[in-house]
Amino acid sequence: MKLPLDGLKVADFSWFGAGPICAENLGRFGATVVRVESEAHVDGLRGVMPFAPGKTGYNVSGYFNAYNAGKLDLTLNLSTEMGKEMGRKLIAWCDVFITNQTNRMVERWNFGYDELVKINPTIIAAYQPMQGFDGPHKDFFGFGSVLNAITGYNELSGFPNRPPMGIGTNYPDYVINPGHTLIAILAALRYRNKTGKGQCIELAQIESAVAPLAPAVMDYAANGRVQTRAGNRIAHAAPHGAYRCADNTWNDQPEDRWIAIAIFDDAQWRTLVDAMGAPAWASDAKFATLAARKQHEDELDANINAWTKEQRAEDVMALLQSRGVPAGVVQNARDVLEDAQMKARQYYQYLDHPEAGHNAYDGAPFRLSKTPGTLRSAAPVLGQDNEYVCKELLGMSDDEIAEALVEQALY
Amino acid sequence: MTDSALDDIRVLDLAGDIGVYATKLLANLGADVIRIEPPDGDPMRDIGPFWHDDPEGGAEPVADRSLYFFNLNANKRGITLDFTKPDGRALFEKLVATADVVVETYTPGYLDSLGLGYEALTKIRPGIILTSITGFGQDGPHAGYAWADIVGVAMSGMMTLAGEKEDPPNMPYGYQGYINAGIAGAGGTMMALVHRDGTNEGQHVDVSMQEALSINQETAMQTYDMTKQIRGRTGARGIIPIDIPGIGIYDCTDGQIFAYLGTPGGAPWTVMLDWMKREGMAEDLDEGDNLDMVKSLNLAFLTGLVREPEKLPERIKVLGHMHGIFSRFCASMSKWQIYEEGQRQRLMLGIVSTPEDLAKNPQLAHRNWYRDLEHDHLGAKVRYVGPPYRLSATPATLRTRPPLPGEHNAAVYGELGVTPEGLKSLTASEAI
Repeated sequence: MKLPLDGLKVADFSWFGAGPICAENLGRFGATVVRVESEAHVDGLRGVMPFAPGKTGYNVSGYFNAYNAGKLDLTLNLSTEMGKEMGRKLIAWCDVFITNQTNRMVERWNFGYDELVKINPTIIAAYQPMQGFDGPHKDFFGFGSVLNAITGYNELSGFPNRPPMGIGTNYPDYVINPGHTLIAILAALRYRNKTGKGQCIELAQIESAVAPLAPAVMDYAANGRVQTRAGNRIAHAAPHGAYRCADNTWNDQPEDRWIAIAIFDDAQWRTLVDAMGAPAWASDAKFATLAARKQHEDELDANINAWTKEQRAEDVMALLQSRGVPAGVVQNARDVLEDAQMKARQYYQYLDHPEAGHNAYDGAPFRLSKTPGTLRSAAPVLGQDNEYVCKELLGMSDDEIAEALVEQALY
Repeated sequence: MTDSALDDIRVLDLAGDIGVYATKLLANLGADVIRIEPPDGDPMRDIGPFWHDDPEGGAEPVADRSLYFFNLNANKRGITLDFTKPDGRALFEKLVATADVVVETYTPGYLDSLGLGYEALTKIRPGIILTSITGFGQDGPHAGYAWADIVGVAMSGMMTLAGEKEDPPNMPYGYQGYINAGIAGAGGTMMALVHRDGTNEGQHVDVSMQEALSINQETAMQTYDMTKQIRGRTGARGIIPIDIPGIGIYDCTDGQIFAYLGTPGGAPWTVMLDWMKREGMAEDLDEGDNLDMVKSLNLAFLTGLVREPEKLPERIKVLGHMHGIFSRFCASMSKWQIYEEGQRQRLMLGIVSTPEDLAKNPQLAHRNWYRDLEHDHLGAKVRYVGPPYRLSATPATLRTRPPLPGEHNAAVYGELGVTPEGLKSLTASEAI
């Protein structure tokens, strides 16, 4: 089967989440992706949990492996002259270059766009600096958890009586930034296919992450309102939240279970009331309309909670969904891996890794009916494709490869 | 005039909330996006916040004051159309014949039931791309499930990770389920376009919000897959449930900062100590056990704490003492001062931005990221956010304000050969 990106060559000089996830999706749809790493500059995720049970070393992190499947792996020490020279060969070879390294590191490598086009005039070069190429904060830095704070997700998410703790993950790293970058690269590719011209993509992570929060910023600009945390509530729905259900028992421990319910209009409300068995409290005028329910939302939520708390979350979901009411279990990772829908659609792809074993990998973010993406191999072991990449892709001789090893350029 | 990546592409936009971020992104990249609204009104226009907090527009009502709608629909043309009416359907089919992409968010099977599913559309327009964005995807036992943003976020596995253990799980602000589904929808559409360019072959792009979101579980999925452990909510303190100086949220004079000191790539704690000394806020940090801790405190040290349990009580005491001193230092300064001065010293400190801070952020201002767009019907300029990316040859642009209801009926239907008289009778029959 011909895939959309068959023949596309990608040099992936990124690390952690935002760059590698984007490059992984290019590979999923046909591109040949060479992931560049070095033992002198190991991707931090290789050292982060979870690890395959009983295993140690750089190759068994589930965190790293998840974002690098299907790639060839080349260890190139870019602090050596020969390493830089080989890096330039890879730049000449590729169609798409991607990095989420800091501006400082890109400068140290001499891989700015002006330099890359000297080597490869039609290259598509995608950079993901945290704050952009220029400006007073251009060298400010941080991981996703810091970006969450800087971009407003922390201030705006969670309950008002709690500090702005964020949402428990380095959120923009996983979809927001890699997903936006993928769109930009595909737009640039389409333009190059039409005109033969390459271009530079600058995804400032702060801009990419604030863009989805537009309504809060527009509300401030237009109305002077400074929105803050409102828990699980929104202005045009009630009830709207996560409600406690009966605990599960798992590994002999109680496990809290919750159901998310969202009621937007009065017809949905009447359906919910009917599904609850039309309790007396629900017929009170103070819950009859959306405006009234918003006004008495604390009491409303307490009543809904009283109804859900003795039931299994799965039962509440099945009951409400059978009547067309939006409701879903707040699933944990076990639930998602065993989710009937995810299984039926075979979202997770299971791949065999020589050291980490047989593991689940996230599937494609979108399904194309005629060219479904697939991960062709598990994540690479550090440096596993050095010889292949040097010989077959960069055209180096055995002597040159030996020299690169001696010089610790291949390292 | 700059070049555009999508100026040869026409998109018919039937998307509800779950998919409209996708068509926004396509419109910003230059596509001719025709938004199709029901003749009796688009519910998206009723969602706040509203211009000047006024949904109605006072004495002269203007059905177009939703900032939520503005954000998602600039650059598009707007028509009204009911394709369940015979005249409306005929028009829709004529439009499809001119389109490259249709984006829709109906319950799976609905368009098929009208005879307007993917196969039917390809007969009208060979090579067409149909992008369907729904809660759970086009097939499977939950394909017919009702969705809402919070339901997708819950079912994806990311919500269980957010918040304090004793609170309900937290949803992220800002309809992130819909945003993530929209990003997947735009990405899938672009991928299908690249494929079509090379082959003339169109296809059906199927986005499930639940799937699009689930990689946001971070390591939770792999943790269960590999070790059968469940990652849950760890709240404000994170995974190490003790007070650690320089990690976490700290109050300042006017808000909060988020600190992540001692991580690789940043300046060490000794740089922090020097700054605190300069400000006269170091207290006894440069003495004895405290100074030893300052010198050794980094992420590797913290992850190794449990390996020496006998030293733990004493270390927790020292860390707690340092935490108090660091907290007092933060409480003596503004959030902007800590953020900017700290970052200039390579200390990993981030401001907890409010929407006001975002609006006033000097970096975004320097880069002219916010854009003002004239809204003639409001007699004012409305401030928009900029695009998520900058493409040097084919930039994403903000060109025209969002359409008023049916604003481009005459233009778009005129292109299809409908006369002004024809337009009147279509309006009378409520087809448009």
